[in-house]
Parts: sequence; C-alpha cells; structure tokens
Amino acid sequence: MVGYVLRRILTLGPVLLAVALITFLLMHAVPGGPWDTEKPLDPVTVAGLNRKYGLDEPLWRQFLLFLANALRGDLGVSYMNQGRPVTEILSDGLLTSATLGGASLAVGLTLGLALGLAAALRRNSALDRATSIASACAASTPTFVLGAFLVALFSVRLHWLPASGWGSLQQMVMPVAVLAALPAAYIARVSRAALLEVLDEEYIRTARSKGLPERTVLLRHTVRNGLVPVITVVGPVAAALVTGSFIVESFFSIPGTGRLFVQAVFARDYGLIMGATLFYASIVVVANLIVDLLCAAVDPRIRYE
Amino acid sequence: MVQRNLVKRLLPAVLLAVVAVLAFACSSDETGAPSTQLAPVQELRLNLGGEPQTIDPNLADDALSVGVVRQLYSGLLGFDENLELTPVLAKELPSQANGGISEDGLVYTFRLREDAAWSDGEPLTADDVVYSVKRLLDPMTGSPYAPMYFDIKGAAEYAMAMGNPADPQPVDEATLAQLRDGVGVEAVDERTVRITLVSPRYTFAYLAAIWPIYPLREDIVESGGDWTEPGRHVSSGPFMLDEWTHNDHITLVPNPYWCGEEPKLTKIVLRMMADPNAAYAAYLNNELDVVIVPPPNVKAVEGDPELSKQIARWVDMSTFAYEFNVNQPPFDDPRVRQAFAMAVDREAFVDKVQFGIGEVAYSLIPPNMPGYDEDLGQQWQYNPERAKELLAEAGYSGENFPVVTIHAPDVGANRLWAEFAQGQFEQNLGIDVELEPLEPHAFAATVMQGQFMIIPVGWGADYPEPDSMLPQNFGSMGGNNLAGYSNAEFDALVQQAMAEPDPQKRLALWNEAQRILVDDAAAVFVSYHERLLLVKPYVKNLVLSGMDAALDGELFLTKTYIAEH
Repeated sequence: MVGYVLRRILTLGPVLLAVALITFLLMHAVPGGPWDTEKPLDPVTVAGLNRKYGLDEPLWRQFLLFLANALRGDLGVSYMNQGRPVTEILSDGLLTSATLGGASLAVGLTLGLALGLAAALRRNSALDRATSIASACAASTPTFVLGAFLVALFSVRLHWLPASGWGSLQQMVMPVAVLAALPAAYIARVSRAALLEVLDEEYIRTARSKGLPERTVLLRHTVRNGLVPVITVVGPVAAALVTGSFIVESFFSIPGTGRLFVQAVFARDYGLIMGATLFYASIVVVANLIVDLLCAAVDPRIRYE
Repeated sequence: MVQRNLVKRLLPAVLLAVVAVLAFACSSDETGAPSTQLAPVQELRLNLGGEPQTIDPNLADDALSVGVVRQLYSGLLGFDENLELTPVLAKELPSQANGGISEDGLVYTFRLREDAAWSDGEPLTADDVVYSVKRLLDPMTGSPYAPMYFDIKGAAEYAMAMGNPADPQPVDEATLAQLRDGVGVEAVDERTVRITLVSPRYTFAYLAAIWPIYPLREDIVESGGDWTEPGRHVSSGPFMLDEWTHNDHITLVPNPYWCGEEPKLTKIVLRMMADPNAAYAAYLNNELDVVIVPPPNVKAVEGDPELSKQIARWVDMSTFAYEFNVNQPPFDDPRVRQAFAMAVDREAFVDKVQFGIGEVAYSLIPPNMPGYDEDLGQQWQYNPERAKELLAEAGYSGENFPVVTIHAPDVGANRLWAEFAQGQFEQNLGIDVELEPLEPHAFAATVMQGQFMIIPVGWGADYPEPDSMLPQNFGSMGGNNLAGYSNAEFDALVQQAMAEPDPQKRLALWNEAQRILVDDAAAVFVSYHERLLLVKPYVKNLVLSGMDAALDGELFLTKTYIAEH
C-alpha cells in the first residue's frame, strides 16, 4: 500500500510535466497572441511588450525558462493584470474557489446520498419516481439556465438573495446550489443503483434472517458496501465541479480561479493559463489519488500492489 | 452659398451647445445644482464590468482601466462639461497669446497650479510630468499609447531605440540614456514644463488632456511591482484607491489633497460584473445604482411604469461600420463599395438589431463631436435597385460576383451584426455571403494579417477632435487602419489640419478630408453608438459626456451626489 502511494505520488511529476507541455504547445498553436486585440497595437509597442515579457525568445527556450521558474515557485507575471505575479493572482482566488467547490461537493454528496438512499429503500414509490425525475432535470439543465432561473426568482422577484458577488453566506447560497445540482443528481442515481444491488445480495437477506436490527443492516452492511461505487465517482464529480466552477464563477461574478482561467484563455494570458492549468491538473490528479485510497479503506477486497 | 458657409461655420458651436444641453438633460438634476437634500450616506455603486488590466496611466489601454485611471489621476489639461479643453493641473490653457504655445507652434509651456499635490500631501511637480512622459516612451514600458506621442521631439527615436521591431537590435545603456535625454520634455523649474514638438501640431493640447501622460511619482513607481495596490498607491485626481479586491470590486474615496472641485460622494464602489444580464439583475435587486440596459431588455424597460422613469440615454463618441479590405478585389473598386453602402438598411439595423439603441450613420464623425456633418453620405441611403446598378457598372451581376466572407469576433453582438450584413447583401445584391465567426484573438490575428473581406468595426474617439478618428483609422500611416485605405489627398488634408492653428479653418479641413472618405465609400458607416442606462432616482448630477469609457459619468463624478430617499 505504502509502495503504491509512493509510486502514485512519483507519477504526479511526469503527469504535470505532460500537462504543462501540451498546454504550452496548444496555447501557442491557437491563432492570435496576447497582443492581438481588436484595437491593433503599433509594431513598436508589440516589440516592446514581447521583449518585456520574454516572448521574443524561441518557444523551446520560453518553455524551459517557464519550467525552471515554476520549480522555484515562480509562475511568471500576468499580461491581462499587468505585471502581477501569477502565483499571487491564483492564491487570491484559491480560497474562494476552494470554498465554493468544497461547499458544493459537501452539499452534492449529502443531498445525493440522502436522495439515493431514500429512493432505494422506497423502490418504485412516488418518492423514488420524484427523485428520478428531479435527478434527470438537474443533470440535463445547463448551469447558466439554472443560475438565471434562481437569480430571476430569488433576486429580481423576491429580493431575498444578492444576484452576484461573494463574501456573505447569502451570496453563497445560489452559486453553491447551482454547482451542487449536477453532483447531487449524479450521486443520487449512482447511490440508488448501488444500494439496490446491495439490498438484493444474499448476505443482506442472511443478516435480516438472523434478526439483526434494520438500522444495523442498513448502516453496517448496506450503506458501507453501497458506498464504494459512489466513492469511485467522487473523482470525476470533483473534476466536474472544477469545470462547472468556470461557468458559475463567471455567471455570479465570483472572484475565484475558475473565472480567472476563463478570462486568461480569452486574453491569451500565457502565464496565467499555464499556472491555472497546472493548478487544476494538480487538483484532479490528487482527487483521483484520494478516491483510490478511500476505496481501499472502505472495501477490504481492494488491494493495491 | 454665404448662408450655407455661415451655417457650416456655426455648426460646431451649435453642436457643442446641443451636447451641453444633452449632458445636462441626461443628468438627473437639470439645474446642475443640488436641489434636494443630500442623503447621509454618499455612496455610489457602479459596475465596472470586469477587472481593470492596470491603473497605471502609461499602460492603460482598455475601457475598464481608463475608467478607473480617470478617477485616480488628473492631467495638465482636461475637459469641461461641453467637452471643451480646460486647465486642470496647469494654471491655464496654453495659447500663443499667453506664451503657452510658441509662435512657430513647436513649443508648449505648461505652468502647474501652486496647490497641485499628491494624495499623500507631497507637491506635484514638473519632474512628475517629465518622468511620466519619458516612461511612456521608454521602449521597455511597452505602452500602447506611446506612438500617439511621436510628435514630441526625440520621442520616436527613443521608443524605437531597438531598431526595426521585426529585427530588434541590442542597445547599450549609454545610448538609451542619451536618447532619453533627447526627448523634448523638460522641467524648466519646479512648476514649469516645456514640451517641444517635431512639427507644429495644434491638436497636441488634446494629447495633454488624456490619460497616457498623466503625471506619475517616480519614487512610488520605481519602488516595486505592487505600487498600484491600496496603501502604496498615490493619487493626483479627485478620488484615491481605498480597497481593491481583485476580480471583485474597487472602492474609491475622495482625495483630500485634490486641487479641483471637492467630490460630494464619500465612497464609490466599482463592482466587476462581466455579464450585463447579471448586472441588470443586480440593479433590479438594488445592489447597483446605475446599469447599462442589455439590448434584449429594452422593450421591457420602456414598457415598465417605474423603470421607464429611470432611463437615461445619450450618444457616445463612437461609430459602427462594416469595413472592407480595400486592397483586394472586388473591394478595390469604389463602385463595389458604394453598392454595398447602398445595400444596408440602417434604420432596420438600429430598430431590429440594436433594439432602437443608436442613431443611423452615414459618416465617421459622430454627432457629439466637432466636425459632424449630417449631410455627409446621404447619397448612400438605402437603395437596393441603385446598388445593383452600381454593381453592374463595375462589371458584376449577382452570379459572377465572388463569394463574400464576413469575418466577425464571436463575442457580444458582433455575430448578430455580421448576420444582419449577410442577410442584407444576399437579399439586396443577389450575391452569396458566408459568415466566419472567430474567437476574438484569432479574429484580431486574421485581420492584422489582412486576411479578410468584410469585418464589423467600431471606432471610438479618445478626445473630441476629428484627428482622434480620421488619421488613425484611415490615414495611410494610421495605426488603426485595418482596411489598408490610402488616399494621398486625404492624407494631405489631414496633415494640413493638424498643423492649422485656427480651430475653424482646422474644422473645415477635417470636413473636407471626411468628405473624401465618405464619397469613396471607404467603409459602410451604419450607426452611432448610444448608451441606454437605468439610473436610480436618488442619483443626481450624473453628467454623461459621451467620452465615458467603462464608467458612466466618469469624467464628472465629482458633481454626482446621492439625494435623500
């Protein structure tokens, strides 16, 4: 197990290096550079800017310089927020994005598991059918449509919640609800299916026939074993939260890293694109590692070599 | 004839008067003086629309940055509510009569006000002006506005010290220092600045009134990269930086050492909401005091009994057009361009596409700028029959005309504007038109390489003088001349106008130059941009000038106040 964890940690480096290289190549392959704006700049100015930001160097050298600096914790400076260090910009938005993502994951997991369990225990009931319909709706409604609906209802019509911004508990409600909707729907469906499968297993019938209390049967045998498939999807769900945050942060004007990433791509802000990509790649890779380890902890049948 | 000339001569004055009236009409209080009691909380909440790239005036290029820079800094000169030049940090407007402009028109001398100071109480000196101008031109600053100041003696040499931009050469420190010393800006004494030009340019006073050369404090700027953050930043304008939560909001408070009119507002909060619909929802939820109405909501706002009373609208100094690549067939033939100019129903564009926001345009200079001539371009009024005849005269029928491609940045309403043009040209000229929407930076790269046939274009003026629009966008050497338009007669008139000291004669030259452009159908001028705002009834004296960048009423926020409500 320890060997497996170490191996996984050691593979992080090559994975992130590959992500960095692919991002760097793609970034320079797409048409248009940071100074190609609707209002064209004078060639003198472009030359000055390229010199200032080291973009007059050959591409291979730019990449090696980026790597060398990144290893020292320096991700360069942003072009769109002129001269501000990328690490400073990312760390500004990090807490916000982490809070938004964490809260959404917690809400999505809790709500999804509760709905999945309730639906499984009352199979084919009205509650089960309602959960299925609600899950399908939540999974198929685009984030911005759900966001627009909530803003129109709770901000414009009822004046209960602020339409945008970040900082207060009230400002968190709608973005978290929007971002948690898809994970909740997904987890509800996965957990319902997993729990139904477990409930049909012979050992559950055996446990019941031995006269174990229903509470023990459910918590110790059903939920614990039913959790494994749910945990395996937490990784992809976390990744979906990351990509979902790009839209939610932009829609609700939340100063997080997701919104920054979108802005950086549109502005061809090379430093910020590289920094944000590596940041999100790290999150996804680490989330997958944690999920694998959690699976092993919950299901004793899983052994890593 | 005499009468017509008189009308022409009086037109700019009349227009400026109209602008003045409009400016006050757009303000919430028509008298200009507070007629209601001030609210105890003087906080104005505006939407900036996003994170400004910088608040460094030498580097500010985008509307968001310029909007904030104008609150934090002031220039030697500025603009009054009629958009006439007025002294700000300078004691008076330079003229030949007061010795501010030399007889040959080459030397400008500015004397600073005695009470000009920075927000930390330090005096604002001539050295601060000199430092800012030389920093703007420094090849390592990379300022987008440096080329605009190449009329200053030695400016181009210093800014281009590295030689040909395509093949830059290393330059030693001594040479750079020598070139820097050769730039024609000097502090004669602590309060006097002298700027020497290469050749007479009587519109230079406008360049002294806009943000790129607002004075800067060397000790602050050179102290480190985060000098633009609250706590370290110093202001010379009416407001100073109180708080900057990046990507979220900026808070401004009055600068106690500002030498101009004391602001009534005690706080301005600039939110950074990029989505206009989100900002509109925030206004309806009382989180913002002023908001731009998203075009699809115009009818709903106009039909709402409450909101319709909160509408303020005015025409910006900017023009929308379809621009041709005039150096490639078929658009190298003026008759083809003229046919296209007659094939666009501008009324339909403003009504249907723009939801009634904007005014029909037939020429480049917008109505609230000196040089506007409403008669110009009337020959290009919508006339599909005549348009087809013109195409035929150029040797084309609908069938043998090459397939036209319209490139457009796929952001905002650009795609819609391109689709409208596609429909108009296909329907009215009987030709095939393809649409190619592109991601904005890819679009910019395509256009810069000249790989386009028709593009939608918007031009805004940096200051209310035609040389802010004509030479830049259509001069042979114009930095923003995307179409590659070149006309020797036009270029000569523009050069003559810039060197003409008499404002009336200058205006006549601008008009003549613009007529060439319009007659030649260098572009299809379609509409003058307009802003439609909602302003809370308690916001008074929000003076809308037509020169605002991203902030509404930004040039005169010192006048704005919150009435008791």
